[in-house]
Formats: sequence, structure tokens, C-alpha cells
Amino acid sequence: MLKATSREKVRSMKRGKNPKRKSRSVGKPLIVLVLAAVVALGTAYYLQHEQATKSDHSEPSTKQLPNTHFLTNPAGWSKGNSIAKTVLVEFGDFQCGACAAASSRVSRITKKHGSRLKVIFKQYPMQKSHGNSMLAAQAAEAAGQQLRFWEMHDLLFERQSDWAEIPDAHTLFFKYAEELRLDPGRFKRDLRDNTVRKKIYRDMMEGQLAQVHSVPTFFLNGKRISNSRDEAEFEQKIVDGIRSDQ
Amino acid sequence: MSKTQSLTLIMVLAGFIGMIDSAYIGFNSLGGTLLPCGPASKCHEVLNSSYSHVGNISIAWLGFLFYFAISTSSVFRLWGFQQAFRFTLVASLVAFLVTTYLLYIQAFILQAFCDYCLLSAFLVMLILGLHLFLRPWKEN
Repeated sequence: MLKATSREKVRSMKRGKNPKRKSRSVGKPLIVLVLAAVVALGTAYYLQHEQATKSDHSEPSTKQLPNTHFLTNPAGWSKGNSIAKTVLVEFGDFQCGACAAASSRVSRITKKHGSRLKVIFKQYPMQKSHGNSMLAAQAAEAAGQQLRFWEMHDLLFERQSDWAEIPDAHTLFFKYAEELRLDPGRFKRDLRDNTVRKKIYRDMMEGQLAQVHSVPTFFLNGKRISNSRDEAEFEQKIVDGIRSDQ
Repeated sequence: MSKTQSLTLIMVLAGFIGMIDSAYIGFNSLGGTLLPCGPASKCHEVLNSSYSHVGNISIAWLGFLFYFAISTSSVFRLWGFQQAFRFTLVASLVAFLVTTYLLYIQAFILQAFCDYCLLSAFLVMLILGLHLFLRPWKEN
């Protein structure tokens, strides 16, 4: 019945007998489609927005919430004084130029104030813009499995320009592992190991909860501090933090 | 309701769910919030990998266009346009090939799966199956 009616309509449209019918027969499904597309887009946007709002509500500010313990009492690769009250957490990406520059600043500051400062590095590879960043993070974590995280961390930042844009960075990372006298077989295994990946994802999740949107992002005793390019200014913020903790 | 109409209705639903799924991933690629994912899945790794974009466009938005086309042809089919599925049969075959490639990427290259991508893969296979079952090339 439906088929017959539609055929009739199509025929009459072709003959040009009733132009009003033409717009009505195509119009209804078109309206349904537009509505369906709007509802689908609206639902997807609502769900996505709801998810973002939930995250915001559960962790609205790193300055206020007690459950940002991963910033005030963080786990991860640390240097400086492991029992220091003042804790500097960095969310970094090995392929980011600003992170490489910040890494040198942090190293100098740690050497100077390391007895009263604990520095934690957390992985935050920005894979969309930095294609090799995840692999580099895995390389650092794999080196960490053999207790050479900071050595690999420094090496990756120092030689960032060598590996950042090449299609197969594995080869270079294996050479770095050899240079650091790591067990090559274990390094190769750990590079793709799920535990290593999980650790990176946990860091990234923490970064998301702490509302990290760019790298490097620093938190001093749980409070976000800006990544000043002026080393003296950056150092002063840390010194102020150390003083207030004493 | 005839069998053909029932199957066409399933196609409409598949297209609609596909539009929501792909738009959800698409909006995520614009905002970058981590998606809630099953315990065994690695949505973040998959959706942030270099395979998730063609140029600057998230593949999800191309998927959205596909599902919109499927919804269009199904709705027009329900309204009596007999040959509507002829237009989307080719699109479904292409989508199936792309989906197979993306599943290969997830399984062997990224070694990580994403729930939303798996749902999309299921929908594409369902849509192709329905197309083949309805045999649009035989309709006049």
C-alpha cells in the first residue's frame, strides 16, 4: 500500500501535475532526518558535556580539594629530597620544546635546593601534536624499570631534536638504552609492556583531573604555578614555597 | 509491518546510534576530555593516535557523515523510495573496508581497543549485512 502510494506520488511529481505533493513527499522524511541529526548531535554533545562537567565537579580546583592527593603526596619518579615537605610536580612531554627547556631549569634548581625540595615527574604525552611522545614516555618508563628513569629523562630531552620527527624512533631509543647500559632485552620488552602503559595512563588521568591543558604544567604543594621562562622568577616561587613550609 | 520495513527500521536505528556514537567521539576530539571506557579498553590511546585523524579531521566526523547517509536512505526507504539503498550500498562496502582496516590497526599496531570504535564496527557490519539481505540491486 505504501509502495503503491509512493509510486503514484513519484509519477505525479515527474509529470509535474501537482508540485505541492512533491514538496510534501520529500519534505516529511527530510524533516525527520534533520530532527534525527539534531537529536543525535545534541545527545552526543550533552553526554560529552556531562562527562566534562562530572570531571570538573569531582576535581574542580587543585587549590581546594583533598582528593588531589596525587599532587600533594604524589607517587612517581622523584628526585631531590624524598622526605622534603615541599613537593614540585611536573606534568611533562618528552617531545615538547618548552618541557626540554623547563627540564634544564628544574635540574639546576633541584641541584641548588634539592635538600629541601622533592621533584616528581609525571607523564603527559600530547600525542595529537607530538607523534613520538608516547613512545618516548614508554622508553623513559622502561628505563625506569631498570632504575634509570632520570638518566633516560635527561637523555631524551637533551637529544629531543634527534628523535622528535623521525618515523622510527625505536631504533634511537634502543641506542640510548645501550648507552645507559640497560639490559636491551628487558628494555625492549618493557617498552611495550602493559604495566608501563598503565603507569603512563594513570599519570595522564591525574593530569586530566588536575586540569592540565598544556605542558609543562607545574604544581607546587598541590597549587598550580606558572611555567615562567625567567629562571630567577621560577626559582623564587619555589624558594617561597620552601620558606612557607618551614 | 513487513519484514523489509522491520529491517529498514533497524537500519534507521543503527544509523541513529551511529550518529550519536561518532558525534560523541568527534566532540571529544575537539575538547580532549578523557572518555569513560571499559576496564579492558584503551580509548585514550586509540582516539589520540595518529590513525584517528585524516589531516586535521577526526575520522569520527567522517563516520558521522556515513551514518547520516544511512539514516537518510533508510528513512527515504521507509517513505517508499524503493531505490534508496542503492546509493548507500557502495558507501556501506567502503565503510566495511575502512572498519576492517581500523580494527587491524587497533589489534596489531596499537594493540589497544576502544569501546566506541568497536560499537561503530558492529554497526557498520550490521548495516552492510542488512544491505546485502535487502538486495537493493534487485529493486525497481
